[in-house]
Amino acid sequence: MPILEAFIFATVFCGFFGIIWKRNLMMKILAMDVMSTGVIAWYVWVAARDGLLAPIDTGGEAVDYADPVPQAVILTAIVIGFSIQALILVGAMKLSRDTPTLEIREIEKNNTP
Amino acid sequence: MTAISIAWITLPFLVGFSIYLLPQLSRYLAVAVSLVSLGYGMQQVLRSSPVTLQLLDNFGVTLTIDSLSGFFILTNALVTLAVLLYCWAGDRPAFFFTQIILLHGSVNSAFICADFISLYVALEVIGIAAFLLITYPRSNRSIWVGLRYLFVSNTAMLFYLIGAAMVYQTHQSFAFTGLAQAPTEAQALIFVGLLTKGGVFVSGLWLPLTHSESETPVSAMLSGIGVKAGVFPLVRCALLAEEIDPLVRLFGVGAALLGVVYTVLEQDTKRMLAFSTVSQLGFVLAAPEVAGFYALTHGLVKSALFLIAGNLPSRNLKTLRLEPIATQVWLPLAVASFSISGFPLLSGFGAKVLTMKNLLPWQVVAMNLAAVGTAISFAKFVFLPHDTQAESKAKPGFWLAVGLLVAGLFVANGVYYEAYNPTNIIKPLATIALGWLAYGLVFRRVLVQPPRVLEEFEHLIGVMSLVAIALFWMVLA
Repeated sequence: MPILEAFIFATVFCGFFGIIWKRNLMMKILAMDVMSTGVIAWYVWVAARDGLLAPIDTGGEAVDYADPVPQAVILTAIVIGFSIQALILVGAMKLSRDTPTLEIREIEKNNTP
Repeated sequence: MTAISIAWITLPFLVGFSIYLLPQLSRYLAVAVSLVSLGYGMQQVLRSSPVTLQLLDNFGVTLTIDSLSGFFILTNALVTLAVLLYCWAGDRPAFFFTQIILLHGSVNSAFICADFISLYVALEVIGIAAFLLITYPRSNRSIWVGLRYLFVSNTAMLFYLIGAAMVYQTHQSFAFTGLAQAPTEAQALIFVGLLTKGGVFVSGLWLPLTHSESETPVSAMLSGIGVKAGVFPLVRCALLAEEIDPLVRLFGVGAALLGVVYTVLEQDTKRMLAFSTVSQLGFVLAAPEVAGFYALTHGLVKSALFLIAGNLPSRNLKTLRLEPIATQVWLPLAVASFSISGFPLLSGFGAKVLTMKNLLPWQVVAMNLAAVGTAISFAKFVFLPHDTQAESKAKPGFWLAVGLLVAGLFVANGVYYEAYNPTNIIKPLATIALGWLAYGLVFRRVLVQPPRVLEEFEHLIGVMSLVAIALFWMVLA
């Protein structure tokens, strides 16, 4: 399990460093998606610490079930993250008409006073 | 009370989407929503004991409504009302009013929630509504400014989410109260998110460009109330947990000083106001016990200033000094500038006295410096040449909106009338005199443009990681 946690944080960091180091807006957006995938995986990991089964009462013996609260929470976060990605991508699409390469420095130079 | 609170919090969302179906009624519906909030906020300010609601079982949504939330809700209602009056006569479509009301509703919910996940949802909805308002003109610049804002705030909120999960791991609950005993990493990560979202200290350097390049009513809305949604949870956590309090105060002092340095030097009216927001948010955080009243005063004054600045003939202060502006526009501008500098008879005075009283000894010198800096910056507006003959192209809605906000400044003055004693009155007057003297002798002639390099997109993200590292060390210490 600790190795899994390490991989999850590695994903988050890969995403964050991508946001810093990639020069292209499109790549930055993808890096942000990688980071948010890492965060989602971290919630799933937190939920699965004590068990992996769905918490359904079948009347049988008690089983180790996964904690449904973080899973429910992250579902909301996934939807929000998805809609923000969509909005940012629409923005990038509009910007690409004047700056087809989507280089962040070019965009910034053209659009800041 | 429970039913009223739930009805009040859901009303903006129901009305917001109905506006889109009933475009003819858009203005009336939007004003009705802000009036309901006004009444509700007023009632909460007067409340002595807080209400706590637990919705949907143990793991559901927790809400806490007390007089602190009341002040913030009242600010939100007044600012929204003023912005709606300002936009009344224009040809703005229903879409604009929908977004304003959704922003209003989500900011309200940020002011009453008591757990990290409800707060997360509220902050993200604020982000989306603000993005749509900023990018509404659909010019390339506005799209870039909005995109930059949404990108930075979403990245910060990802850190926040990791922190929230860590709080859950320790306490099996997302409640604010868990932050005190949560692991240090959790505190640091949650702070990164909230500081960035609230535009505090170096994490808030995204704010000047965003607020200065938006349209006038949008700037007023974002600067008057939008950023307070990020500041409010910091205040709430500082009041709930003693360990957090010094950290919040420290960031408050940092923000007040950083903002004021830029404000003093800036020659562009809207950028100056945006930097002043950074510094005033520092005042709000510097004394968490009395944050509510300061936030109310700042919300009123800053939205009034943004609306007025949008109706000046130029954004450049050098140009404004050449040609006199209309006296009837200068008058509210001067009143607002007096209030933000802390002049008696306006609520800025009471708020400043109250904040200064609740400072810890190590904060006093820095905050007084920031107060002098504020007086220097707003002397730029007070001493603008004006003329009764000069024409202004302001619309009737502008006068209604600014009238409401300025009247609010006079009325809110009554909240803390105990402030009126000789020592309390002399100190702000001396601060203002000192500020004006410094302005007349030195700063009027100084033409140093502060560098904008830190406001570049990549530096914003870089600064976020630096703040995260600094916070790790601070909470470990």
